[in-house]
Amino acid sequence: MVSRVCKRFKSLTVLEDVDLVVAGGEVVALTGENGAGKSTLMRICAGLVRPDRGTVTMGGRLGYCPQTPGLFELLTAEDHLVMFGRGAGMGRSESLSRGRAILEEFGYPIAERAVTRDLSGGTRQKLNLALALLTEPSVLLLDEPYQGFDRGTYVDFWDHCQRWRKEGKAVVVVTHMLAELERVDRVVELPAHPSRSRELVSA
Amino acid sequence: MAEMHGRDLTRRHVALGLLVALPLAFYLASGRSGDSAISAGGIGMAFAVSGATLFSILSSLEVDQRLVLGGYRPIELLLGRLLFLGPLGLVIAAGFSVLMATVSHPARPWLLGVGVGVVALQSVPFGLAVGATVPRELEGTLVLIGVIGLQLAAELTSPVSKVLPFYGAREVLAASASGHGPILWPLVETLAYGVALLLVARAFIAKRVDVHHHDPIGVDRPAQAPPVRA
Repeated sequence: MVSRVCKRFKSLTVLEDVDLVVAGGEVVALTGENGAGKSTLMRICAGLVRPDRGTVTMGGRLGYCPQTPGLFELLTAEDHLVMFGRGAGMGRSESLSRGRAILEEFGYPIAERAVTRDLSGGTRQKLNLALALLTEPSVLLLDEPYQGFDRGTYVDFWDHCQRWRKEGKAVVVVTHMLAELERVDRVVELPAHPSRSRELVSA
Repeated sequence: MAEMHGRDLTRRHVALGLLVALPLAFYLASGRSGDSAISAGGIGMAFAVSGATLFSILSSLEVDQRLVLGGYRPIELLLGRLLFLGPLGLVIAAGFSVLMATVSHPARPWLLGVGVGVVALQSVPFGLAVGATVPRELEGTLVLIGVIGLQLAAELTSPVSKVLPFYGAREVLAASASGHGPILWPLVETLAYGVALLLVARAFIAKRVDVHHHDPIGVDRPAQAPPVRA
């Protein structure tokens, strides 16, 4: 739950009095023009940036998929799965089996030992998403997670959103893909000029 | 974390080559005999290990924050680098010391190994502190060049040399070459300086990768006061 969040960067007000409530079992699309503060809001919700005012409260474990994959260039996908899994208290074999299963669902069966520097942009993004899903979070914050996905994987992503909804997860997806908005429960638009967020579509 | 940093660095073949080649180049360029050659070789080691440490921090700040979000503590990010780069530096220092002792014939060869090892170990907290405090690689590299370059250029007895992080190590290296001079006090100084650098690194890295864990739903907090406007 986001309540009256405000954020300024030097003289630029990015977010002003933003409210957002997402319940478990709900998929919300966060849209808006470039520079509207969508990624900033996601980073505030993830705890990576502190708001100047306002509060964020959350129930359950969080999974955050940033817009730009934060990966080590010379580590493999398996190295990343083990490293992120260890941070959450998972053992090596558990991290690898769960991570491989997630990546296979998104069309990236890890067979090779390629380092992330040598992966395509879409494949890196699949790993980025898998790291967010690794610990089976109940809250998902996904900032344009499908960038670089092939058409089939992109369609699969939105199918997965439906599954996450049924599993009771609270899912927020930053998206510019207006064609998919009918597949979400609500659409929240952040306008370019800060003011209260505007809800476009309610289920 | 140490394992992962190890895997990352061992795949950087050029970087590994430079880790060995840089101190060697400094040493060979200084004539291979006498105090100055030994000091130069040691300081070349500082450039190499500090540089590797600096870039390991600055190239992964976004990932580090995500790792903290995923459950790691900031101190673990520092210790992971320390636990890999420290031993790696010591291995390079050991081999380099054997070479320098063979070619330069210092009065106390065993002390030469200690001195170069101390440089290698001190380089890691120094690189961590610089990496944690500067915004980007360019600034960090310039600080590295400035500090270590000054350490090399300044006379050992000058006030400038005494306040720089590798002063103690230089004293030990000088004692190894000449056969006399203090040993214990420089080692204690180096240790104290290294601990201080680690504390600086810890404080700054914690701030940079700070992750705010939100209150769970249902916890009441006092309402925030609105900002005062002039």
